[in-house]
Amino acid sequence: MKFSHERSGDTLVVNASGRVDGSNASDFLDSLQGTFDPGDQRIILNLSSLEYISSAGLRVLLMAAQNLDKQEKSLSVCSMTEAVGDVFRISGFDQIIDVFPSVEDAKQG
Amino acid sequence: MTDAYKILVVDDEPDLEPLILQRMRRQIRAKEYGFVFARDGVEALEKLNADPTIDMVLSDINMPKMDGLTLLQQLPGVDPNLRAVIVSAYGDMDNIRTAMNRGAFDFVTKPIDFDDLKITITRTLAHLAEWREALSSRDQLVALQNELSIASQLQQSILPSIPPVTHGCEVSANMEPARNVGGDFYDYFVLENQLGFVVADVSDKGIPASMFMMSSRTALKGAAIGVREPEMVLYEVNKQLQQDNPTFMFVTAIYALFNPDSGLLTYSIAGHDPPLLVSASGQVTELPLTKGIALGIAPEVAYEQHSVTLEPGDTVVLFTDGVTEAMNADNELFGMDRLTAVFDGNPPSSATAASEAVFECVRTFAGDALQSDDITCLTLRRP
Repeated sequence: MKFSHERSGDTLVVNASGRVDGSNASDFLDSLQGTFDPGDQRIILNLSSLEYISSAGLRVLLMAAQNLDKQEKSLSVCSMTEAVGDVFRISGFDQIIDVFPSVEDAKQG
Repeated sequence: MTDAYKILVVDDEPDLEPLILQRMRRQIRAKEYGFVFARDGVEALEKLNADPTIDMVLSDINMPKMDGLTLLQQLPGVDPNLRAVIVSAYGDMDNIRTAMNRGAFDFVTKPIDFDDLKITITRTLAHLAEWREALSSRDQLVALQNELSIASQLQQSILPSIPPVTHGCEVSANMEPARNVGGDFYDYFVLENQLGFVVADVSDKGIPASMFMMSSRTALKGAAIGVREPEMVLYEVNKQLQQDNPTFMFVTAIYALFNPDSGLLTYSIAGHDPPLLVSASGQVTELPLTKGIALGIAPEVAYEQHSVTLEPGDTVVLFTDGVTEAMNADNELFGMDRLTAVFDGNPPSSATAASEAVFECVRTFAGDALQSDDITCLTLRRP
């Protein structure tokens, strides 16, 4: 699991890669939230290089989204592979977290 | 031999006492458990206060002086380690919901099916035994790993053992836990002339997940007794679990209702993989996903349901992602294609053969790779 991020104005794009499951879900949450600055209003999580996410991974994503929501900030995800997209679709998480096909679409939100 | 467990039966119906003593005479003679009786909640509390050796309470809801729901509220004050099973009228959702909120461990419906009651008592007492062991171990400050293994046994103790042929259909289910305690479970209920089935997977692992699993299971059973349509069962359970869930745990589940006479299977899915249908001729299809969200995270979710008629020889395979996401040493996933291939052109001869085939194939595929998730499979076959 690796992270990189780029910031433009109040929008932060975080690129996550590797695998998220029960063994590293809480590290994933810490690393993800570690990239946030107080000025970030919109966080876009680019999952194009994420190979796998388990239900424990979905749970920490939900925690991050709810934390941001409380601060009137937003979290969206984009560019999922087919496998990760299936996990979102089957679990119904695509009805809770905004999903976009690409970073550009997510920016236009 | 240890002392028999003592069960307090609380019911204002005087005929129940001789009936229970008669129907449970084998268990009483074998000193598995014994019974004491009270006619209302007030008398029940008096007996509980006078006799600290009572292990379990089986209570009716409607009674004079003090009803079963009020009694349920008083139990933790008498002994927090008592377990209560509530006898409710079929379809009495309001009371069932209240009983769940007040910590009922399980439910049986009226008129009492004594086979079902025996199973429920055995399960409750097994849970109680594990719970007490966990408590005494905690007193001795055993290592965390030890507690985890006890939690795992606790979890196993509530999974029902299903007779291979029951109420006109074949059913088989198994759960193979990963090393640590996890959150998969399955259950089945006899509901008048139909059978209800659950396969579910709680997000995350460890003791909190197993606690969440316990409350999910009770909520599911209560809702299944209370309402008929699978989509309404999931709606109810989601509402229950979502009310007080600060840790954002959730459970994905599939709930199915089967009518053995007509072969009609109606299911509803909450964020879970859809089941497979294997026809008598060995054709495998994935049943449609119904709209819904994993249970416990979003308020007021509308679930949908789908119906399919099973022909004689048809098998339905319900599973958790521990099956499809089982990994081998090269980090490859077992996947839907391999699961489909288990049955493609190869229809199972029985529900048991079907679930054994799934576990066998997953085991062979995974080889020596560490099992990272619970693996659960429930199969239902129309004979």
